[in-house]
Amino acid sequence: MNPLRRFLRTPEAVAGAILLAALIAMALIAPLLFPGDPQAIAGPALLPPFQDWSLPLGTDRLGRDVQAELFHGARTSLAVGLAAAAAALAIGSVVGTLAGFAGGLVDEMLMRVTDAFQTVPSFLLALAFVSVVGPSLGIVVAAIVLGTWTGPARIARAEVLSIRERDYVASARAIGMHPLEIAFREVLPNALPPVLAMSSVIVAAAVLTEAALSFLGLGDPNRVTWGGMIAEGRAVLRTAPFLSIVPGIALVLTVLGVYLAGEGIVETTAVRRGLS
Amino acid sequence: MPGFTISRRKMLAGSAMLLASTAMPALGWAQAPKKGGRLVLAADSEPRNLNPAIVASNGVFFISSKIVETLAEASFDGKDGLAPRLALSWEGAADGLSATFKLRDGVKWHDGKPFTSADVAFSALQIWKPLQNLGRTVFKDLASVETPDDLTAVFKFAKPTPFQLIRNALPALSSVVPKHVYEVGKIEDNPANTAPIGTGPFKFGEYKAGQYYRLTRNTDYWGKDEPYLDEIIYQVLPDRTSAASALEAEEIQLAAFSAVPLADLDRISKVPGLKVITKGYEGLTYQLVVEINHRRKELADVKVRQAIAHAIDKDFVVKTVFLGYAATATGPVPKNDPQFYTGDVPTYAFDVAKANALLDEAGYKKGADGNRFSLKLLPAPYFNETKQFGDYLRQALAAIGIDAQLVNNDSAAHIKAVYTDHAFDLAVGPPVFRGDPAISTTILVQSGIPDGVPFSNQGGYKNDALDALIAKASETLDTTARTDLYKEFQKEVAADLPLINVAEWSFISVARDTVGNIANNPRWAVSNWADTYLAG
Repeated sequence: MNPLRRFLRTPEAVAGAILLAALIAMALIAPLLFPGDPQAIAGPALLPPFQDWSLPLGTDRLGRDVQAELFHGARTSLAVGLAAAAAALAIGSVVGTLAGFAGGLVDEMLMRVTDAFQTVPSFLLALAFVSVVGPSLGIVVAAIVLGTWTGPARIARAEVLSIRERDYVASARAIGMHPLEIAFREVLPNALPPVLAMSSVIVAAAVLTEAALSFLGLGDPNRVTWGGMIAEGRAVLRTAPFLSIVPGIALVLTVLGVYLAGEGIVETTAVRRGLS
Repeated sequence: MPGFTISRRKMLAGSAMLLASTAMPALGWAQAPKKGGRLVLAADSEPRNLNPAIVASNGVFFISSKIVETLAEASFDGKDGLAPRLALSWEGAADGLSATFKLRDGVKWHDGKPFTSADVAFSALQIWKPLQNLGRTVFKDLASVETPDDLTAVFKFAKPTPFQLIRNALPALSSVVPKHVYEVGKIEDNPANTAPIGTGPFKFGEYKAGQYYRLTRNTDYWGKDEPYLDEIIYQVLPDRTSAASALEAEEIQLAAFSAVPLADLDRISKVPGLKVITKGYEGLTYQLVVEINHRRKELADVKVRQAIAHAIDKDFVVKTVFLGYAATATGPVPKNDPQFYTGDVPTYAFDVAKANALLDEAGYKKGADGNRFSLKLLPAPYFNETKQFGDYLRQALAAIGIDAQLVNNDSAAHIKAVYTDHAFDLAVGPPVFRGDPAISTTILVQSGIPDGVPFSNQGGYKNDALDALIAKASETLDTTARTDLYKEFQKEVAADLPLINVAEWSFISVARDTVGNIANNPRWAVSNWADTYLAG
């Protein structure tokens, strides 16, 4: 059966894909729908949603358009989520492959480093890193990667450990390929699928971590972020709850979408691999 | 944690009594202050050092002013705006070289020892002058304190010192601590800094980190029948939204220092049994100020500074950031100051076109992207309002083609970045006006201040004329002449804009209507509360 059709058969995967597509669309059309600075003051302060149709989601405490902020915030969330996941997967799979393939002392060292990073709660690590280096988008991504690369590293290592005993690896050795070449051209590509399966979890975690950092005032203050919007709205939670609720819902839907779509992909590939 | 359980039980009993009391009909209109009761209020910070003689700041006064008293307190109707506390009268010599204080008789320290002029002399010479953050400037020329008898202290100055300044400094700077406690060992490490001993209406009870401070009634207090309250509990509620809920749930009876966010006041003022009080902070005016780093070549140009002043819509700031609970500023002295304020200064109306023209004139044309130059903007993190004004200022500057990049720091990092490293172009700061420009205002624009002094001119601004004016005012003894010099000072600051004053604000208290004698002096939240009572 065609994998796409199989994917479309699972309703949760479809829901996830739709949510994710909507998010990506939001991020892409944000600069077209809301050109200019999303943080510009657009109207009276604390306008509730659905009162003025030029500002359908209302305005925040300074009179900034919540809808524009929401759309531009999607860009930040998505950028952070994807960049962090890509970096974490890249670093993790390289470290895991090296450790698994080389074995011995290299394996010991790399895995103890991984242990060290894993024992510190990843959010605390990010918090400490950002508060020392200073908040900007790149730093936030780096901070998230610090705590998330260990998962992919461990999984990659486990995969590599089993793959390196296979016949084709032995034959590659026999024809005299360089060990690094074997590791990265023969072993790594085959070890990747289960590592990639983690990507949805990592993206979801990265989006949440970014939001939490922004909520604590450690996000990039020159960009709109959903976490920052929730934090901003918290001071007026009782009088203008929509300021926190609207970005909060966006955050929930994003994480849910990423997760469901990821699950769908994993299931699809798992079934395919099982059949083949 | 047994301590917590007990306190909780007591709290429950207290609130049960309170509930029962609301069921009883009011017994009459003009109630005499009632004795007894426990006042529970919100505290949003937990200062470690509670010695107001060393750390003269509102966070410390809020708790310690009930324990340690000053020579005089601010007053709405007293002579020179003062009411006597430990001093009964004060007089400055015509030559400005001495000031005589007559002290109150029969005052006892909380440990039973009598209060005498030796305590005043010790506090002034050993603590206010060398150690206190504000006293260092005001008492810099204090040479000695003579104590001809137990109830007279004569301050001797090496250089003529205006008595007006000393008088204005009394409410905040003159906390008297016991000599017999502090003369042993190093003053900074004295245990009484965390468990203060004073002469005030309340004694220090206990402090549980993260939970509460407890003050208990001083039965030996000098005020007749005072204090009325048995206990004051400062419930630590660092989260601002929780103070409002705690008031509604009757867990606390008072939230001072705007512990309830401004945006919640409208709603909470409609809750039966709660009242919103905007008075009682007249002597604690905070100023919203744009601090400028004059080392930046663009900002060294007065036209650029004027353009920035024209770009800020002060009315919008007051209306939106402060929700009306503030006033627009014209210069470095707030409008509500009865002695020094003058409105006769150059003003900068909100005018984006004019601001753009000024910047063009200064030679900073807009580039292809609409920007003239970019700046680093550091809003102080201490108040929600300073952070919000930072967001607003970024937008206001964008409108005149200045790209401001916000840098958010925590308190310690902000103070280091601005006042030590000078790693800012613009900063948003909340300096406090303390009743006299010489206490903490002239230092904001004066040159020659060493690096690292917080809340001072660290923007590299130097104006010889202004420095000369400040120096002259600091040695002018005649009150009228001195006041006039400070009016001149306001004009000069408003014209040259070493910093931009945007707004002035104070705090709001929210209390249950059973709390009596609230806001009866201009520094009420940081006064001694001897006459505060709980009705019903």
